[in-house]
Amino acid sequence: MDREFIRNFSIIAHIDHGKSTLADRLLETTGALSQREMMEQVLDSMDLERERGITIKAHAVRLNYQADDGHLYQLNLIDTPGHVDFSYEVSRSLQACEGALLVVDASQGVEAQTLANTYLALHHNLEIIPVINKIDLPAAEPERMREQIESVIGLDARDAILASAKQGIGIHDILEAIVMLVPPPKGSPEAPLRALIFDSWFDPYRGVIILARVVEGRLRVGQKIRLWTSSQVYEVEGLGYQSPKAIPCEELSAGEVGFLFANIKNVSDAKIGDTVISHEDPASGPLPGFEEIKPMVFAGLYPVESHEHGLLRDALEKLRLNDSAFNFEPEHSVALGFGFRCGFLGLLHLEIVQERLEREFNIDLITTAPGVRYRVTTTAGELIEVDNPTKFPDPAGIKQVEEPIIDATVITREEYLGGILKLLEEKRGVQKKFEYLGGGRVLLLYELPLNEIVLDFYDRLKSASRGYASLDYHLAGYRISPMVKLDVLVAGEPVDALSIIVHKDFAYERGKTLIERMRKLIPRQMFEVALQAAIGNKGIARENIPAMRKNVLAKCYGGDITRKRKLLEKQKEGKKRMKRVGRVEIPQEAFLAVLKVASDEEE
Amino acid sequence: MYISYPFCAQKCTYCNFASGVFPGNLEARYLEALRAEIRGHAWAWTPETVYLGGGTPSGMKPADLAGLLALISGKPWAEATLEVAPGGVTAEKAHAWVEAGVNRVSLGVQSFARRELARTGRKHTAEVVAAEIPRLRAAGIRALNIDLIAGLPGQTEASWGESLDWIERLAPEHVSVYMLEVDDDSRLGREILLGGSRYGAADRPSEDQTAELYEMAVERLARMGIRRYEISNFARPGWESRHNLKYWRLEPYIGFGADAHSSDGRRRWQNPETVEAYLESPGPEYSEAHPEEEKFFVSLRLSEGVRPEPAEWRRYQETIDRFVADGLLEVRDGCLRLTGRGVLLSNEIFQEFLTT
Repeated sequence: MDREFIRNFSIIAHIDHGKSTLADRLLETTGALSQREMMEQVLDSMDLERERGITIKAHAVRLNYQADDGHLYQLNLIDTPGHVDFSYEVSRSLQACEGALLVVDASQGVEAQTLANTYLALHHNLEIIPVINKIDLPAAEPERMREQIESVIGLDARDAILASAKQGIGIHDILEAIVMLVPPPKGSPEAPLRALIFDSWFDPYRGVIILARVVEGRLRVGQKIRLWTSSQVYEVEGLGYQSPKAIPCEELSAGEVGFLFANIKNVSDAKIGDTVISHEDPASGPLPGFEEIKPMVFAGLYPVESHEHGLLRDALEKLRLNDSAFNFEPEHSVALGFGFRCGFLGLLHLEIVQERLEREFNIDLITTAPGVRYRVTTTAGELIEVDNPTKFPDPAGIKQVEEPIIDATVITREEYLGGILKLLEEKRGVQKKFEYLGGGRVLLLYELPLNEIVLDFYDRLKSASRGYASLDYHLAGYRISPMVKLDVLVAGEPVDALSIIVHKDFAYERGKTLIERMRKLIPRQMFEVALQAAIGNKGIARENIPAMRKNVLAKCYGGDITRKRKLLEKQKEGKKRMKRVGRVEIPQEAFLAVLKVASDEEE
Repeated sequence: MYISYPFCAQKCTYCNFASGVFPGNLEARYLEALRAEIRGHAWAWTPETVYLGGGTPSGMKPADLAGLLALISGKPWAEATLEVAPGGVTAEKAHAWVEAGVNRVSLGVQSFARRELARTGRKHTAEVVAAEIPRLRAAGIRALNIDLIAGLPGQTEASWGESLDWIERLAPEHVSVYMLEVDDDSRLGREILLGGSRYGAADRPSEDQTAELYEMAVERLARMGIRRYEISNFARPGWESRHNLKYWRLEPYIGFGADAHSSDGRRRWQNPETVEAYLESPGPEYSEAHPEEEKFFVSLRLSEGVRPEPAEWRRYQETIDRFVADGLLEVRDGCLRLTGRGVLLSNEIFQEFLTT
């Protein structure tokens, strides 16, 4: 199709501000789906996505729209993931577009994530069309939202479209605005091929499927291609686009968006942000912005039943087929046996992987406390990266520790400021900006250690603000910090899976709370069990679990042997779900206690 | 043989058995079914001991009771126990029971402390028990058991001491001390779950305190010459319950009535639990017996312990050594026994002898 009639756009919106409903409505209005075919929110296809209301994978849907000017336009809606963990994917999706709809809830206003993504879109020179959604709701304040978009984002919102995706109000205006305001793609179809990969996944029949935007040149079935970051040559086996059903085609030319498969075996060979080039007529350079995605959050995943170790490995391998952002390597814990140290983009990413393992693969997991990757300089002058507390060097051998730092943006309402400022201070935050946005809203920019947000920051933020705070962050470098390894000893034996790396000043409180919690979670054993928190050789807190006094069946009709056996079997079965460390049976919950320590300090 | 009579004048607050108060006509139908079940049984042996449990079998009309016992061969039995609720023992009744063949009475006293009794829902008092025992003795009952419960709501070391004082005074041949296990299905259990205070739910002794009370009883009873021969059973030498010993020694037994259990050494079977279900289908439910395993978790309850076979020693050597080292088991003359501390932690030990 003539580039002049192509429009590539995405939708920027906060969770629940109506992105999926709007997308559905656009599909329906342009006839991509009949009313009857309409499934609620077709774009969020993974079960988990639908449940959480968050788009995890990008999608691209082609809509054919007969505009008021009489021309038929090809509109490509490129959906973006909606969570800060996936901001790199968002930036690649935005790079594939020329415009974006900025959807703001008429009663909620601009949120941190929306702001961050809008800035990202502006950075990529996208034309932004403000849409004020849910104007049908009684609490809607479209005029105030207009002001807010202007004051907070600095966008001209005079022509913001008033819409209700739910009621179908403003949909035609939105489609016309896309046609009129979003510029057509620029690249020439005659130039050497350069296509931007903005998503990829594994299909058991086709191998890796790539979603790409052709920026310059043409992609054809049978063409020999390469990816900029590797020398491997592939032959394009199939091309097509989603409408939203997959429709094959022979060619995708500059400006168009679609999928391709070329017998690529691993998603890690088709990295998001990489450039597809022609093997015979290679372009002279890649498209800008490619980065290797690096995991930021690390945790150990262990099967509850040690014999499920192989199952867990297979499951992780299967998950990685579709998720190159996540990595894992085998590790061994004295307490938990064989498991895997896994790296994730963020906490949500970790939770998604965890949930999929439990739900899709039916594996009971123990997850150790998530942590970050520290840069440790040893006294010998060696620089090592540590993402597993058990590998943290002995204090005597450490010259300095650097921890990753983030710039975090929080937008909230004035009335919750008190609690949120306290939380940010407690989390060792350094204020960089404090700005009133009008309408009782405040923007905070803080420098925070990443380590402080991986434990319970979201939950704490949510409760401090009753849900009226949004968060966005990005990595901002490293900072020297006095970090120490806090060990937990059960009956004198260190339990490696319970070790955490904490700031020196927090070590005492954390250690104390942690073992207090564990004392409540570890059932009494047949002997007294000492729980200790220690840094190096120095004990900082101690609790005792007194020996069990009584576990006896003393009131049961003598002849009822069956009931006695059942009770004993049940007790024995309960123990199987515990992990034995030395002679102490530790229930799963005790390992999770580490995760909840910080929130207890609040209570 | 065992006969179950699950009817009571009132339901105790801690009770989770399928016994209780039922409409009057049900009792007659139940007796009819019970008689039919006994009559229909093909006896492989003549019963040596008879045990009428409940429920409250002493609530039965003496004639009905006599009629039931008349269906059983072997009279006079070496031991024929009747469970009796204090509060209704008249000289006439006592004589009628003895006439029917009863020679041992088990009194469901549970406590001699007024407040504790009131909270269980029981109607008797210590004085009533004290007045009724001579009537039983006069009628010819030589073997007498008194049931006590350790861990009742409101129980203290002092009140428990009073109950034990009463034991000393009344001098029964046999005492059973049960540690209260609160079942969620009992009234007390539900109250505790709901965080309420009825039935004394809020001032129940802790598990540790209950263990203390139990040990206090073990010690005091021993001083009276009433020695523990099973986790919950204590007797003067020679007065151990022959019937109950059969359970612990895995000898065959047969039970009749609702929720009655039976075993012939190879199989176990169990009648329907509720009166209604029993009346509908008296067919029992069968399961395999596993004597080699039961030997440990059943017979180890006895103070005499068990004598493992050489193969069992080999199999469980490590487990036994560990428990011996922890002071929970002791080995003497090839016999394995629970220690005093082992008794209170016996479930922990028994589990290790299960093969599944």
